[in-house]
Amino acid sequence: MIWVSWRQHRSAVFGCLAVLAGLAVYAIMLGTSMRTAFGQDGLASCLARSQGTGCFGAVSAFDNEFGSEVNVAFWSVALIVPGLIGVLVGAPLIARELEYGTWRLAWSQSVPRARWLTVKLATVTGGLIVLGAAMTAIITWYRAPMDRLIGHFLHNSYDFEGLVPTAYILCAFGFAVLAGLLIRRSIPAMIAAFIPWLAIRLIVEFMLRPHFLAPLTIACSATPGGCFGHGNGGYGLSAIPPATGHIGDWVLNPSTGPSGNLISYQPADRFWIFQSIEAGIFVALTAAALGTAIWLLHRRTA
Amino acid sequence: MTEHDPGSGGPTLRTDRLGRRYGRVWGLRDCTLEVPTGAVVGLVGPNGAGKTTLLEMITGLLEPTEGQVSVFGQTSRAHHPATLARVGYVAQDHPLYRDFSVADLFRLGRAMNPGWDQELAAARMGTLGIPLKRKARQLSGGQQAQVSLTMALAKRAPLLVLDEPLSSLDPVARLEFMREVMVAAVGTGLTVIISSHVVSELERFCDWLVVLAHGHVQLAGPADDLIAAHWLFTVPRATPDAELPGRVIHRSDSDRHSAVLVRVDPVRLAVEARAGWQAEPVGFEQLVMAYLQRSSGAATTGNYVTSQVVTR
Repeated sequence: MIWVSWRQHRSAVFGCLAVLAGLAVYAIMLGTSMRTAFGQDGLASCLARSQGTGCFGAVSAFDNEFGSEVNVAFWSVALIVPGLIGVLVGAPLIARELEYGTWRLAWSQSVPRARWLTVKLATVTGGLIVLGAAMTAIITWYRAPMDRLIGHFLHNSYDFEGLVPTAYILCAFGFAVLAGLLIRRSIPAMIAAFIPWLAIRLIVEFMLRPHFLAPLTIACSATPGGCFGHGNGGYGLSAIPPATGHIGDWVLNPSTGPSGNLISYQPADRFWIFQSIEAGIFVALTAAALGTAIWLLHRRTA
Repeated sequence: MTEHDPGSGGPTLRTDRLGRRYGRVWGLRDCTLEVPTGAVVGLVGPNGAGKTTLLEMITGLLEPTEGQVSVFGQTSRAHHPATLARVGYVAQDHPLYRDFSVADLFRLGRAMNPGWDQELAAARMGTLGIPLKRKARQLSGGQQAQVSLTMALAKRAPLLVLDEPLSSLDPVARLEFMREVMVAAVGTGLTVIISSHVVSELERFCDWLVVLAHGHVQLAGPADDLIAAHWLFTVPRATPDAELPGRVIHRSDSDRHSAVLVRVDPVRLAVEARAGWQAEPVGFEQLVMAYLQRSSGAATTGNYVTSQVVTR
């Protein structure tokens, strides 16, 4: 049965390997030059000395060369990639069988259809986890110098590192499998799965993620530069270090209030907790979608 | 799965008041059949008659809404491995994975069927001259049908179900396909069900007949018995149905005479033969047509294609 899954998806596997290879080439080229520049600009010693304050020259030189890595345009394009991978692999999984009539061949063998689907889903999910982990590892490696400057909490690092990229892929895959079963056609199923995936992805990112844990606060007077003395956690290398004075902290809203001026922020060491919470949300959605698909197929009329 | 005993004499296949509803419409209803071991059953009916519905319930692909199916005395349960393993199934248009080679398809069959007979599968491809390395999409329609049939036979299931196997084949491929089915059936005591809307194709091969229309069984039984039980009478046009020696199945009136197909009552036949009547035995196709015309009303007879190739 696992062989059957492999045989049906091997062209997708080769496609994914090609994408990974392309990503690796890009990452090695960019990552190597980033490392070289990082050393030449003397950023390491500057960071060790002062968390980035007082070395604007070095930071802006680095920014000139690699600033596109942290800008919104880069993020918006890269944002959709996990979703595309998920729906491209997921939508045809059942829909293609229904479109081509091969379900009559597949489901009239001595393996019940629910088991057929379960084995297929387990195999393909395993493959996607490996793919997601490999992509994450490559991205994390090449971005490492950049992340030493901006930390792991900004969109461009957080969304492509740790656990969440793999969870995003799985969620899009789960939605697409279910959509393929319900709509019975691959291309419409891809669209029908991608749109809610993207909506949930953005809602989680902008509305839920800042509140996964209650933010810490710090009085503006206690920070090296006051509330607005340094970057406030937005995009760009000008935000080094953030207003808390500690690289990697995610500053939510430096503000002046009636009870004194406060900065609320998520500290850098919450990265893995936040990653686990967010990955958990998307994995739960995946499990719900795939479980529904198996249940529906088991009960399916024809 | 060959633990059945063909010598036990019980029916291979039994359906008991079987029905399947799609929303508010019944695709098939009240279908009660008993088919003996070794029979080659022709399942005839127009498109939409419920043939595929019946066959999918027999194979375990479709859950009945009411009633049940049993194969060799064991009740079928949709989507259960034991039920699926008892039936070899060649679906309409014999679907195959187009980018799989024949060898890949057989490997799939082996992976998904405990009773898979690889030797049989390979030997059949050798006999038919189909290379194992050839991709399914490179095969002719006839060869694809043969690969599908081989996959169904290699399951070693005691019951073989063929859904419209001939409709997409040219006449030569049809003949070759049916020859292979008959060789397999005679050689192994297989029970075979073939659905078709091409009546004349079935006449040569089937010894059992089931006529299905509008989701109901119109006629079922051994073909020879059914043919023997029906006569075509030519009688004066004025003759009322009630005077004919049995149940009138179909009647067509011309200027002075009527041709009436009757399921005869043997007792009345002896008594009521009259001067001026002619009686002749019916043919397979004539019999099927009469039941189909009866079920649909005579006005729609033109919709039914008997002998020529039907493309859907």
